[in-house]
Amino acid sequence: MLNPQDHLFEIIGANQNPETMGVKEVSQAGILRNLRIKRFPVAAAAVLLLIILGCVFCSLFTGEDPFRMELTHINAAPDRTHIFGTDTLGRDIWSIIWYGGRRSLFIGAFATLISTGIAVIYGSISGLAGRAVDSVMMRFSEILLSIPSLLLIIFVQAVIGQRNVIGISIIIGITGWMSVAKMVRTEVKRIRDSEYVLISKMMGGNLLHVMRKHLAPNFAGTIMFMVVMNIRSAIVSESTLSFLGIGLPVDIITWGSMLSLSDKALLTGSWWIILIPGVFLVVTLLCVTELGNYFRGSKSSLHGNL
Amino acid sequence: MNSNHLAATIAKKIIILIISVLVLSMITFAMSRLAPGDPLVSYYGDRVERMSPEEHANAIERLGLDGPMTQQYADWFKAALQGDYGISFKYKQPVMTVISGRLINTLLLGGTGFILTFLFALLIAVLCAFREGSLMDRIICKVGTITSCIPEFWLALVLILLFSVTWHLLPSSGAYALGEAGNLGSRLEHLILPLAVVVLSHLWYYAYMLRNKLLEEIRQEYVLLSRAKGLSRRSVMWKHCVRNLMPTMISIMAISINHILGGTYIVEMVFSYPGIGTLSFESAKYHDYNMLMILVIITGIIVIAGNMLGEIVSERIDRRMGSTERLEDLIERDKSEEVKHHA
Repeated sequence: MLNPQDHLFEIIGANQNPETMGVKEVSQAGILRNLRIKRFPVAAAAVLLLIILGCVFCSLFTGEDPFRMELTHINAAPDRTHIFGTDTLGRDIWSIIWYGGRRSLFIGAFATLISTGIAVIYGSISGLAGRAVDSVMMRFSEILLSIPSLLLIIFVQAVIGQRNVIGISIIIGITGWMSVAKMVRTEVKRIRDSEYVLISKMMGGNLLHVMRKHLAPNFAGTIMFMVVMNIRSAIVSESTLSFLGIGLPVDIITWGSMLSLSDKALLTGSWWIILIPGVFLVVTLLCVTELGNYFRGSKSSLHGNL
Repeated sequence: MNSNHLAATIAKKIIILIISVLVLSMITFAMSRLAPGDPLVSYYGDRVERMSPEEHANAIERLGLDGPMTQQYADWFKAALQGDYGISFKYKQPVMTVISGRLINTLLLGGTGFILTFLFALLIAVLCAFREGSLMDRIICKVGTITSCIPEFWLALVLILLFSVTWHLLPSSGAYALGEAGNLGSRLEHLILPLAVVVLSHLWYYAYMLRNKLLEEIRQEYVLLSRAKGLSRRSVMWKHCVRNLMPTMISIMAISINHILGGTYIVEMVFSYPGIGTLSFESAKYHDYNMLMILVIITGIIVIAGNMLGEIVSERIDRRMGSTERLEDLIERDKSEEVKHHA
C-alpha cells in the first residue's frame, strides 16, 4: 500500500468527520429548497377555502341574526353563549365575522377584477402604441404611482364619497391598476413583434382578437402574482378605510368596519373586539400571499460562493 | 466634462420633476372640482342654506369657485406661483399655515422610520446571507412573510392594546403630553410606538428584498476568488458584497419612499399624531379639497424628488446603473411582500 513517494504528500482528514472539514452534507429537503421547486401550498389553500366556504354559507351555521343588537350584552367577553364575545353594539362577533368576511372577500375580488381589467387594457394600448403615446401613458401611470395608494384612495373617496360595497370596490379598483399595467406593457412590447402576432394580423385578426388569443395568454402568467397580491392590498385598503371611518359605515359589516369600533374597545380594554377580526384578516391575507408566491417564478443557483 | 454631464442629468431630472408636479396638480385640481359635494358647505356649514343668491355668488367668487375649470386652474396656478395655495375650508386659514407646523412632524416620524428600517433591514439581510438556508434564515423569512400580511393600522392597535391599555407604559396618541410641547422627553415617549409600527411593518419586506439581492451577490465569481485568496467570510461580506449592494440598496430606498410615507400616514391617523397624514384624513372627512390637493402634491413632490435623488446618487456610485426602469421591474417581480403601498 505504501508508496515510496507517500512522504511527499500530507494526508489530511483521513479519519475526520466531513462536517468538521467544512464539507456540508446536503439533505434532500435542502436541495429542493435551494432549487426553489414550488410545491402547491396545500395548507394555505385549505384554510382559505375553509374561510371562503364559511363566509358563503354562514347563514347555515351562525344561527344568530347578524344585525341583532343585544343591548343587555354589550361588550361581553367571550363565553359559552357568545364564543367570540359581543362588540360595543351588542352584536355577536362569531356571527358577524362570517358575514363581514363575505363582504371583505367580495371587495377584494371585485376591486381586483376592476383594476386588472383597466391594467390589461391600458397596458396593452401602451405597449402596442407608438413611442410618443407609450411614453406619455407610462409617465402618467408613474405620476399616479408616486402617490401612496392609500392617500390616492382617500382623495378619490373624498371626491366621489361612495359609502357602499360596490362604490368602495370601484374606488380601490380605479386607484390600483398602475403597477400591473406597467408589467402588461413590458410583456406586450416583448411579444408584439413576434411572427405569430404578425401572421395573425396578416390573416385579418383585429386588435381585440390579437389581444385575446395571443397577448393575454402570454402575460397572464407574469401578472398572476401581482394580481393575487392586488386582492390582498384591496382587502387591506378597504379595512383601513373603514377602520378610519371614511370607508364603509359600521352597519355595513366588514372586517374593517368591525375594527372601526376599536376606539371604544381600547377605552374598555375589550381585546376580543380588536384581536378576533384582525386575526381573521391576517390569516386570510397570509393564505392569499402563500398562493400568490406559488405563482411567482424564481431562479437561483444552488450554493453561494461565500 | 464629467461635471457637465452631471449637471445636464440633474437639469433634465428637474425638468421632469416640474412637469410631473404640474400634471399631478392638474389631475388633482380637476378631480377636486368635479366633486359632487358642495365645498361651500364645508366652509360655511349650514349657513349656506340661509344665504341670499348674492351672498352665495360672492362666496363662490371669493373661494375661486366661479368660471370654467380651465380658468379656475389658471387662477389657482397664478396664485400658487406667488405662494398662495388657497384657504383651508375647515381651518379657515391659508393651507400653508396649517401644513407648515405639521410637515416637520411627519418628516421626523417618517424620516427616522425610513433610516431605521433600512439600517435594520441591511443587518438582517447580512445575517441571513451569512447563514443561508439555516434555521434562523428560514425563521426570519417566515416571520417576514407573516408580518408583511399584518395591516399597519391593526399592528398599531395591537401595540396600543399591549403597551398603553394593558401595561400603561407608553402614551397612545398625540405628539406630546398636554402643555408639554417643548419637553423633548415627552415628545420622544410619544414617538416610540408610532416609530415601532412604521419600522416593524416595513422592515421584513425590505430585509427580505436585500437578502435576495445579497444572495445573488455572493454567487458572483469574485467572491470565490476572494475566498480562494484567503480572505475571511466576514471581510468578503462587508468589504465586497455589502459595498457592491449599496447602489441597489439606494435605488430600493428611493423607490420605497412611497410605501414608507404611505405607511407613516396610516400610523399618524391611528395615533392621532399631528402630521400631514392625519391632516389628509381630516380633510377627506370634511371635504376640504384645497387642503387635500396640496397634501397630495406635497407627497408627490417628496416621492418624485426622493426617487430622482436616489437615481442620481446610485448613478454616481455605479455608472452601470443607467436604467432604473430595469431595477423597478426587478423589484416588482420581487414584490413578494407588500404593499405598501403599497400601499
